[in-house]
Amino acid sequence: MLDALDTPGVHHALYAVGSMALFSIGLYGLLTRRHLLKIFMSLAIMEMAVYLLFIGLTTQPGRTAPILSDGLVEFAGTADPVPQALTLTALVIALAVLALGVSMSIRYHQLTGTTDVETMSALKDP
Amino acid sequence: MDQILLQSPLLTPTPIWLIALPLLVAFLSPLWGRARWPLLFGVHLGLFALALWLLAGVQDGPLIETLVIAPPLGIHLHADAVSLLLVALLTFAVALVAAFLWQGARAPHWQSRQAFVLIMLLSAGCNGMLLTGDLFNLYVFIEIAGVSAYLLSALRRDAAALEAGLKYLIIGAVSAVFILFATVLTYITTGTLNLAAIGMAFADIPAAMQILIGLLLLVGLGIKAELFPFNVWVPEIYRGSDPEASALFSGVVVKAFLFVLFNLVFLILADPAVVGRWLMILGGVTMVIAELTALRQRDLRRMLAYSSLGQVGLITLALGFAETTVVAGGLFHLVNHTLAKLLLFMVAALMLSRASSGHLDALTGIARRLPLAAGLFVLGSLSMLGLPPLAGFMSKLWIMAGFAEAGVFWPIALILLGALLEAAYFFRWIALFYRPVPAPRLASDPVGLPTASSAVTWPLLVLAVLLIGFGLAPVLLEPALNLAAEVLLDRSGAIEAVMGVRP
Repeated sequence: MLDALDTPGVHHALYAVGSMALFSIGLYGLLTRRHLLKIFMSLAIMEMAVYLLFIGLTTQPGRTAPILSDGLVEFAGTADPVPQALTLTALVIALAVLALGVSMSIRYHQLTGTTDVETMSALKDP
Repeated sequence: MDQILLQSPLLTPTPIWLIALPLLVAFLSPLWGRARWPLLFGVHLGLFALALWLLAGVQDGPLIETLVIAPPLGIHLHADAVSLLLVALLTFAVALVAAFLWQGARAPHWQSRQAFVLIMLLSAGCNGMLLTGDLFNLYVFIEIAGVSAYLLSALRRDAAALEAGLKYLIIGAVSAVFILFATVLTYITTGTLNLAAIGMAFADIPAAMQILIGLLLLVGLGIKAELFPFNVWVPEIYRGSDPEASALFSGVVVKAFLFVLFNLVFLILADPAVVGRWLMILGGVTMVIAELTALRQRDLRRMLAYSSLGQVGLITLALGFAETTVVAGGLFHLVNHTLAKLLLFMVAALMLSRASSGHLDALTGIARRLPLAAGLFVLGSLSMLGLPPLAGFMSKLWIMAGFAEAGVFWPIALILLGALLEAAYFFRWIALFYRPVPAPRLASDPVGLPTASSAVTWPLLVLAVLLIGFGLAPVLLEPALNLAAEVLLDRSGAIEAVMGVRP
């Protein structure tokens, strides 16, 4: 009975709705939170939503990973490898930026004792 | 890297060196010891020469440098008359900042190896953004340039610098998410990441999706290209960073993003008129708001930041018009703004090393202590607001003449209004620098750092000579700029060079 749900269209719709919900949650967090680490978490959630959308919409149920192993000798019935390679690259970049942001936040907290972006106003016009 | 090096013979001058050489030199940084600054200067001077040499070879058509597989499947570099012109400008700008730091930077954070590596990576990232022919590579280069810029901004590692760095990083990450989102949607709908192939396929995807991708790219690139209303972060970051770093942001990074934005608009859209009109409005609003806000700034770096925003608005206004004369004028103004802003920010660096802060009161009468620097500031600001015979006058005149020829007059009114506002705030600062101050306030240099030698002024003098030279003889640049504008607007030529068919 549930076979009707196991079609590419339904899968893609679920991925699209799910990742857009995730993106909105991240955007909401970005706009409303004031703690530096929560802002970085919101950014990470937004990035994850984009990766999920990319991976989800470029494959279909039944497709396998684009890797020649387990007796597989040709690229038939595999998912498109480009999005997966791109997502891996983007993940690495996002991780690096996130680590940089968190370490800068820690240093900033050590210097000033604050983690609140609202109170970061040393650069406003006096 | 290995693949790239194996693919192309090591010693032939190809565009890949414009990206590979800075990366290579940056990663080998432990080897260089105390020769870092001369090396940074030398490498960029070499890249500048390479860019000029390549520029001479692309007069008839773009140079497509294929990496591994031919486009559209593989990745390629697209070196044409406009991207190489900008690469030449940006490498020259980095070389001058390097020379300035070599001669003048005595603060420990500029003596560190990090500063050297970051400037190299920034330059590699910007060159990559200008040259790449692939949307995802564009994203990667944007991130390389971005991360180096965040760290350069926070290089001083005190609270103000870290605040600037953190704010830059957060806004930069937001911009990157939007650009990545647009990239993902483009791949899902067109099935390709090659810019020329996207240019051919873009018209066939649903209109709603086109608008969504366009808006995502506008937000993402608009943040980095400092367009209104995505530019509120800029003054704070320019104020928190050292002026040397701000010179690189305003003179190099923003220019690379402006090119990326307009290159995408002109390459992807079959008819850029509507989008161009919106960008013109955005540019005009950016300019007027920024110049009005600059009037009441009381900090030198914040004032320069708002002035930078105003000029970016003016360049956007000109490039958005998508007509050869005006676009050539806009590119000329882009060159002039880079030269003048480098000059002003480096003068600001000199002044801040001798004054207690960048505030109006602390800088009153500084001209008596730094006569040459104050004089160069006057020259830079006069070029900025467009007084003959300086370069800024010629480029503004060129843009306005182009608009007048096309019979469109509202941008001319806006540009004149902008120049008036610029005159108002620049003359206020100049008057302040030359105001006589009672002797006791001049008594001693407040900062304990050793003062820079007079050799530090030669990069500034080079910039001053260029500003006067291009003002007196714009004909020096005219052929290159006209060709660059034609190439930038020639969508079918760019697509044909890559895909082999006319769209």
